[in-house]
Amino acid sequence: MSKLLSDVFYIGSGAALTMELLVGGILLGLALGVVFAILRRYRWARPVICGLVSVIRGTPVLLQISIFYFILIPALFRCDLGIRATGIIALGINSAAYVSEILRGGIESLPKGQFEAAYALGIPPFYMWRDIILPQVIMNVLPSLVNETVSLLKETALIATIGGMDITRRAQAIAAARYEYFTPLCIAAVTYYALVRILEFIGKKIENRKLYAENM
Amino acid sequence: MLRICNIGKSFNNIAVLNDVSVHVEESSILGLAGPSGSGKSTLLRCIQGLEKPDAGSIKYDGKIGFMFQDFQLFPHMTVLQNLVYTPTRKAASEKKQQYIAKANTLLKELGIGAKAGNYPSTLSGGQKQRVALARSLMIDPDLLLCDEPTSGLDVATISDVVALLRKVHKRNVTIIIASHDLDFLVEICDRIMLLKSGQIIADVRPSQHTNTALHLKSFYDFSCDDAREQA
Repeated sequence: MSKLLSDVFYIGSGAALTMELLVGGILLGLALGVVFAILRRYRWARPVICGLVSVIRGTPVLLQISIFYFILIPALFRCDLGIRATGIIALGINSAAYVSEILRGGIESLPKGQFEAAYALGIPPFYMWRDIILPQVIMNVLPSLVNETVSLLKETALIATIGGMDITRRAQAIAAARYEYFTPLCIAAVTYYALVRILEFIGKKIENRKLYAENM
Repeated sequence: MLRICNIGKSFNNIAVLNDVSVHVEESSILGLAGPSGSGKSTLLRCIQGLEKPDAGSIKYDGKIGFMFQDFQLFPHMTVLQNLVYTPTRKAASEKKQQYIAKANTLLKELGIGAKAGNYPSTLSGGQKQRVALARSLMIDPDLLLCDEPTSGLDVATISDVVALLRKVHKRNVTIIIASHDLDFLVEICDRIMLLKSGQIIADVRPSQHTNTALHLKSFYDFSCDDAREQA
């Protein structure tokens, strides 16, 4: 029994790294995703953004993490940023591609008149995006953003490939040491599932916080 | 004075406005009539700058307010926020209070003072119309452009719109209204232009005709026959 408890504690403490990767990754993903989605509407930036999104979505995350860790980060920063920072950058940029496409759908589904009304009232582009367009878009695409967050949570497990001691890696370590798979893998699965349920709960809370009555 | 000189606009090689010239006197109410697709909305949108004309020029110095056919209120803001967002965005805090007071007065004047805290989704069509009007008045426009202000409104609400626009006109605001509702235009306008296929085919002043609507309708009949012949 005490062995089970210590396993739970050991694997569960990997949730700290998992959550750091998730929170860092989704924040970076949202910030860059918004920038990508807006830039995409400008003709001069569109080819660059479309190319970037296409490459990011067209290659495995596992590969992207390795490329960032072994090639890009050393080449760009001339130093080792560490597993956590590399993970956040790689997962964040990957997430940004998906977030930008989610936002694009939301932006394109808004009536064109909302942009025109902002223009007619003389609202400059920055304020139009920040105060008029994005608040409406984010409310409308919130379920998809929660979905993306849940996906990203599970993708953080790939950090194990560059040595990050997250939930998955710790479970694998116990399994490898004792040749016993059932217990550690089950503990890892339950931990992930619990985290996903917490995310879903938070997502529902935000969705229910009606920003405006009955959506138009 | 608004001077529109020889403007042209086409979409996908289909001419929507074709060499249109209009001079609009200060503090007048001009009506743009015509069937759907005749170019009246495009003309308004060119004046506001929402569309760039392919040819010709539009000269106007003064603030322009625009009232959209489907209002385009911001759904995530209350009625009051819709009104004060633009003027208060960069105003100092004491000035902000003045704008809020001004917005509340405007809403009261338009008979929707009690709705200041409501979201647009909870308002009726006529109430949204009033909010849209109030929002465009917040910037003290010299020229107000109204795109189909009576579409989708019932008869009683339409006569309210007439009264409201008259009130606005009393503030020395020049008004241009695009509408296919001839009776409405005749009731309120000093001058009505009839557009067909992007050209002005009639320019009348209701004061000079005993029955302007009938007079204008004769052009409609003519244009219908014309269309039939072409078909």
